[in-house]
Amino acid sequence: MNAAAQSPGSPSLWALAWRRLKRDRVGMVSLALVGGYVLVVIAAELGLVAADWAREAGVNYAPPAFAGSTDSGGPQVNADLRTNATVRHEPGIVDPLASVLNELRQNLAAAPPEAPRAATLPLGGDKWGRDVLKKAVKGTETSMVVGLVAALLAVAIATIMGAYAGYYGGRMDDILNWLYSVFTAIPYLLLVLAIAAVLNQKGTLTVILILGLTGWTGIFRLVRAEYIKHRTREYVLAADAVGASHAQRMFVHILPNVSHVVLVQLSLHVVLFIKMEVILSFLGFGVGVDTVSWGSMLNESQAELILGKWWQLAAATAAMAVLVTAFSLFTDALRDALDPRLK
Amino acid sequence: MTLSRFLLAVLIALLLPGCDERAASPSAQAGAVQQKVLRFTFQAAETGFDPVRVSDYYSGVVIAAIFDPLLTYDYLARPAKIVPNTAVALPEISDGGKTYTLRIKPGIRFSDDAAFKGKPRELTAADYAYAIKRFLDPKNRAQYAFLFEGKIVGLDKLAADAKKSGRFDYDAPVVGLETPDRYTLRIRLNETDFNFSHVLAFPMVSAVAREAVEAYANDTNAHPVGTGPYVLKQYVRSSKMVLEKNPHFREMLWNAEVGDNPENHQIAARMKGKRLPLIERVEISVMDEAQSRWLAFQRRETDIEYQLEELAPKFMNADNTLKPEFTSQGIRMERSVDPEIIYLFFNTQEKIGDAPNPFGGFAPEKIALRRAIAMAYNVEDQIRVIRKGQSVRAHYPIPPGVAGHEPDYRIGIPHDVRLANALLDKFGYQRGADGYRLQPDGKYLILRYFSQPTERDRQFDELMKRSLDKIGLRVQIQKERFAELNKLADQCRLTLRHAAWIADYPDGDNFMQLLYGPNSGQTNSACYRSPEFDKRYEQSRRLPHGVERNQLYREMARQMEADTAWLLTDSRYRNVLVQPYVVGFKKHPVYAHEFLYMDIDRSDARALKDGRP
Repeated sequence: MNAAAQSPGSPSLWALAWRRLKRDRVGMVSLALVGGYVLVVIAAELGLVAADWAREAGVNYAPPAFAGSTDSGGPQVNADLRTNATVRHEPGIVDPLASVLNELRQNLAAAPPEAPRAATLPLGGDKWGRDVLKKAVKGTETSMVVGLVAALLAVAIATIMGAYAGYYGGRMDDILNWLYSVFTAIPYLLLVLAIAAVLNQKGTLTVILILGLTGWTGIFRLVRAEYIKHRTREYVLAADAVGASHAQRMFVHILPNVSHVVLVQLSLHVVLFIKMEVILSFLGFGVGVDTVSWGSMLNESQAELILGKWWQLAAATAAMAVLVTAFSLFTDALRDALDPRLK
Repeated sequence: MTLSRFLLAVLIALLLPGCDERAASPSAQAGAVQQKVLRFTFQAAETGFDPVRVSDYYSGVVIAAIFDPLLTYDYLARPAKIVPNTAVALPEISDGGKTYTLRIKPGIRFSDDAAFKGKPRELTAADYAYAIKRFLDPKNRAQYAFLFEGKIVGLDKLAADAKKSGRFDYDAPVVGLETPDRYTLRIRLNETDFNFSHVLAFPMVSAVAREAVEAYANDTNAHPVGTGPYVLKQYVRSSKMVLEKNPHFREMLWNAEVGDNPENHQIAARMKGKRLPLIERVEISVMDEAQSRWLAFQRRETDIEYQLEELAPKFMNADNTLKPEFTSQGIRMERSVDPEIIYLFFNTQEKIGDAPNPFGGFAPEKIALRRAIAMAYNVEDQIRVIRKGQSVRAHYPIPPGVAGHEPDYRIGIPHDVRLANALLDKFGYQRGADGYRLQPDGKYLILRYFSQPTERDRQFDELMKRSLDKIGLRVQIQKERFAELNKLADQCRLTLRHAAWIADYPDGDNFMQLLYGPNSGQTNSACYRSPEFDKRYEQSRRLPHGVERNQLYREMARQMEADTAWLLTDSRYRNVLVQPYVVGFKKHPVYAHEFLYMDIDRSDARALKDGRP
């Protein structure tokens, strides 16, 4: 659309940016890594990998395959649990289910042999014997979905509000800035925890909402500043002259010209929200009990470290560190590519 | 100063989990040499020190040090044995177990307090009568009102009047609570009860001075005035409590029943005949994090530590003995099973509020549903994985060490997932399209399990979810804070929850009352009402501890299993770590204020450091 304003033949903003990005080796490696993670997430989402992460594949705290099986023992379970002493019934007491249960017991065929649990797993097992590698993959899915969707939500809120505040100014700007001040007056983590405590409902969607609804403030200021800068530019005045409505000028004419700011903020916030999800889950406000995320894995590994079981901590930390670093480097490269004046 | 020390400990705990923690803090040791100070921690905050207004364990420890009940338990006798405390002798029980007469030792003084206007105040029988009346004053909302409700002649009428008028008349005569003279208390019960002495030995049933209660009416929780061995010297809410020896404490000599236990003889050799209390100052700080408490103990900033469940592998070998690096320092470990039960309870009411409860009621298909859940829940994993082996399976509602416990009783609800599935199929709980079961009439079925938003509870959530997935039951985890959960329990609104009950007094009645119908909404959180159970419970209350009562208790336990109101899970081990210079500690099965009977001897600690055993 805005390409119409450019002379034909000269490469577009995006093509130029892509060219600059390709020259950045670090940026391209990071992009490949992030792309790899995205593929894993898609595969996990489609159920191609790690669909059975909740299965108790190994023994409890199965060590990683490369460390070898060393049964450290640990405190003994009371032998009392295994004994099958007979239950003495009291004659005066009637169990309404007794006859049904007896009948069912007789009809139940002999128990099929349980599949033996593996002594070791590729990256070890957690306390229930679940495969840590699969958990890490599944955790990547949760964490990345949360990070991406929450960042999209925050950016959408911030862009719309920033556009209105910056474009219209005046009373509209005052109201939106007042809202901004209220949100930023509260320390961020406290605000997040307060909202988490109020919602008091666990789940991926809750986490996304919490992060999205609290994380828009910084982006809002940037977008607003851009709009203030652009609203008096000649191309906007020209659009006004040809009869474009306010909404058209805001979102059709100005937005593409400030989108590089938005894009960089988006990727910055993906990283931020991945980390926030980890913090929320670590503090027990995060995803529900049937979901695994890096945060919940780290939370579990607190107790495990005491027992000397380090593998879950290592897996979650490594997966997270690689993605966060790659994404941050990629964001840097993207900013350089999109806004060469900053370089 | 105290706050900064605490913050420092937290900081160290956060930053340096692996550093050398053995260097003793010099200031802490220097302060302790002149005065015998005992320092320990609470893992949760206290609520206050008004005996009728609190019900938590931590407040109870402090209350027991400040106040005096009529009777108490011998320090060393096992099973716990009742002995006189402020009473001259054990109660005279007459009228077929309906009248208890006690004489109080003359000359016992309350600790000095502004409320007494500078005059010494002697303890009288009327102080105990007043204390008991306070439990039924609606204004106090006493959690332990059940100890007296319906029991004492004439007292319930007074409580009913108070509910109407809004004022409890403490001066009105009560037939069941008479003081014929200054030092005599006569309690008349509505029904025969041979176990009432346990109630009189419960630290919350201690003498309070009416002047003091009325003087501090707004904040009795912060101004405890009692006759006990200690007084509250310093109190920072939810952070620090300092107790000091009560200078007017009556003469009380260490005179525990030694029996033929060699360990008891060792303790007695050092303690016998000494005037109590020997420890002059007790400092209690609140530290929520196990890691901080563990570091503080290692740095010898605390002298006794008993709340390190989740850290057990750090100081214990696989065979549950103390690791050599600690025994070589002279640290001792006392290991015992707490007189407690942990259980999973179902709401057995047919309706919760106005909504129907698909898990409640006593129709066979409802019992089958509860039974299937109880059979599917993996108690072994709870003990092995969550407790790390630091608990034993509970089979019977009365735990070991409590009168009425049956060591040979086996729980009648086995862990059997296949049978649970077959049972649900039989009663028509068909699986829907998503693999989860529906109600027999095809309606949606979801079970709400209540727990707290902590890491520990998350492990229980996971276990619950994993267990119920195996029988195809949909579960929703509902997170509430502890206080909120208790409020919901009082309204009978919890559908499924783990609960724990630790003995207030070592008698089976204290546990069986948890299932008594009329206690619904107080201690009976399952709101279980079974005529068969209640009939036997009422009978059992009139019997002394013995074969006859045990038979009733066994029948009651089987009745509860048949109705599946609870699934008993476990009782936890308590591993108490004690510094070498602490003398005379032995875990009491009921009381947690053992420090009254202990001493501190630092010369001994030095000998141990030199390598002598």
